[in-house]
Amino acid sequence: MAKRDDTAKARTSLLHKRLLVCVGTGGVGKTTVAASVAVAAALHQRRSAVITFDPARRLKDALGLTRLSTEPQPVPLDGGARLDAMALDTKRTFDEVVRRFAPSREVAERILLNRLYQQLSDELGGSAEYMAMEKLHELAHHRRYQLLVVDTPPSAHARDLLAAPTRLGELLATRAVALLKSPAALLGTSNSSIGRVALRTLLKALERWTGLTLLEDLSGFVSGFETMIAGFQTRAAEVAALLRAPSTAFVLVTTPEPDAVATVIELHRELRETGFPVAGVVANRVLAFPRLETLAVEEGQWPVPLRRKLLANYADLHTLSRRDRRTLGELHEATGLPLLAAVPMLTEAPISLAALRRFAAFIAPGLDEAATAAVGAAV
Amino acid sequence: MAAQLLFVIGKGGVGKTTVAAALARGAALRGQRTLIVETANDGRLAQLFGARPLGAEPQRLASRVAGVRVEPRKLVEAYFTRLLRVPLLARRLLASTSFNALTAAAPGVTEFLILERLLGWVAPSGLLARQSYDLVIVDGPATGHALALLRTPRNLASMVPGGPIGTTARRLLALLGDAQRTRVVLVTIPEELAINETLEAHALLVGDIAVRVERPVLNRVYPRRFSRRDAEELTALGHDDGLLATAARFQIAARREAERHAGRLRRALGTTPVVLPQIFTVALSAPQLDAAARRLCGTLLA
Repeated sequence: MAKRDDTAKARTSLLHKRLLVCVGTGGVGKTTVAASVAVAAALHQRRSAVITFDPARRLKDALGLTRLSTEPQPVPLDGGARLDAMALDTKRTFDEVVRRFAPSREVAERILLNRLYQQLSDELGGSAEYMAMEKLHELAHHRRYQLLVVDTPPSAHARDLLAAPTRLGELLATRAVALLKSPAALLGTSNSSIGRVALRTLLKALERWTGLTLLEDLSGFVSGFETMIAGFQTRAAEVAALLRAPSTAFVLVTTPEPDAVATVIELHRELRETGFPVAGVVANRVLAFPRLETLAVEEGQWPVPLRRKLLANYADLHTLSRRDRRTLGELHEATGLPLLAAVPMLTEAPISLAALRRFAAFIAPGLDEAATAAVGAAV
Repeated sequence: MAAQLLFVIGKGGVGKTTVAAALARGAALRGQRTLIVETANDGRLAQLFGARPLGAEPQRLASRVAGVRVEPRKLVEAYFTRLLRVPLLARRLLASTSFNALTAAAPGVTEFLILERLLGWVAPSGLLARQSYDLVIVDGPATGHALALLRTPRNLASMVPGGPIGTTARRLLALLGDAQRTRVVLVTIPEELAINETLEAHALLVGDIAVRVERPVLNRVYPRRFSRRDAEELTALGHDDGLLATAARFQIAARREAERHAGRLRRALGTTPVVLPQIFTVALSAPQLDAAARRLCGTLLA
């Protein structure tokens, strides 16, 4: 079957990428998928790192780590497999970026102590996404790893993530910010009276938005940050190129629930419009109870009252399995993407390295055939 | 008489839209004129009512149910066009990259505009204002964004002392803080991370944001199909490898998980969740939506 060949090909090429970005809404198992892909790649002898936003204890436990922080932690895998894990802390990464790229320590301190910076570094639209990109830039340039797997913040909007590298630089470079720093400057450069009125109105609107005391903070923030704008823009351009490189692939993670699938179709549309390479879909928590064909043998084993319940239960789960198949079919139709893996619904979450390896076997089959069989039977 | 405002909040994919739709149906059956506000862009809401995709102006979805979609970019345009009064100025402003970069990045701008739009439906003001709805249901957004949304009026009210924005912020603050009018329903599923997030959100909503939170909705709960004796019999007979036994074990484990998570919610929040059963059909039918509506409305719309 052509479709199956495509899937196999897409899966194989996945592990040979340099950068994998897992995207999807919250609660679909994105972090688990990112971690298990990284495990699979490491077991394929690729030096790998997984970067997550989820400081959940569960992932830390699953990876067999005692701590998970912004510092890379080696995951205890056997057979010389090398995998590091790190969790991203937006505020800390932002601070690190300021320290590293500010022209002097004084400027860095001035920015870090600014009240507005302290608020913005946490709350600025897309700052988590932006910092993910900064971290990515740093790691990609180190070349310590052959493969980076990035779990993205639980955002339903690809736009947020992907606009992030350019947004901050864009904002800081704009005339609106210059205007806040020194309003008179802009009024002077405008050559039509309409323009002047528009700018004055804009200024007034902005003052209303921010309140006057904040304006002062902003002014301090901007004059500090200004020195770093060129660097931001360069790195933003480099990350944008990295994300579109042939060695990069985006993986959409979803459950087969209609709500989740609708969101992921929208997400794919945004990714495609922005020109990012999407490799395919990993469906998580899929039910796969097939139609019962040779029932007679099995049915006969059970006493009548229990048998009736067993059959009714099976019929229900088979219906849900059909629904899952249908929803995933619709997803394929809407996006044209290959289904890289359909990970069955497990009654227990993967909370050990062994379980994570079994999970990984669904995404990279052949990695561990025995594990696949074991999980298959458990469902 | 102003309308009631109900936020339906939860992690992506837990069934917020379904719950919002069911609540709207239930309210409509009780004679309330209801508006559902869609904050996602996935078209699920219209799909559930078999209607065409929603737009920026309310449109009819069913008897006494209307739907509308809020789109941040359009809200920014509309708001500043109104604020500046002169269309030419507004066009210039909206076309400037500075302005767009600023509104995209500044915290709270889109949140404020979404709430400001809601205010127009919940409590229309002005000479010719006419109340068109008894209930406004907001479908989503996902928990993190929703919390940011609900926190905005307080932040703005303290930051901006006067002017139209400060005034609106204070009106919003009064609306959100009024337990007789504004309520939040948290939707969740029996799954570890979803429950954790629900408990965290609940604490923030009650403590930090100070808004009235209803009993949570626990969606997709597997029915209790096998008794303890059945389960014992299943193990005793030992035909473990067949599909029927595998399916039964799956069901038993899923039910046990659901009960465990319902217990967690009950203990942590001191209230029983409203349970919606897992539905075993390929697509949600109108009667199923009505059944969900009955379950929800008895407790949440009373």
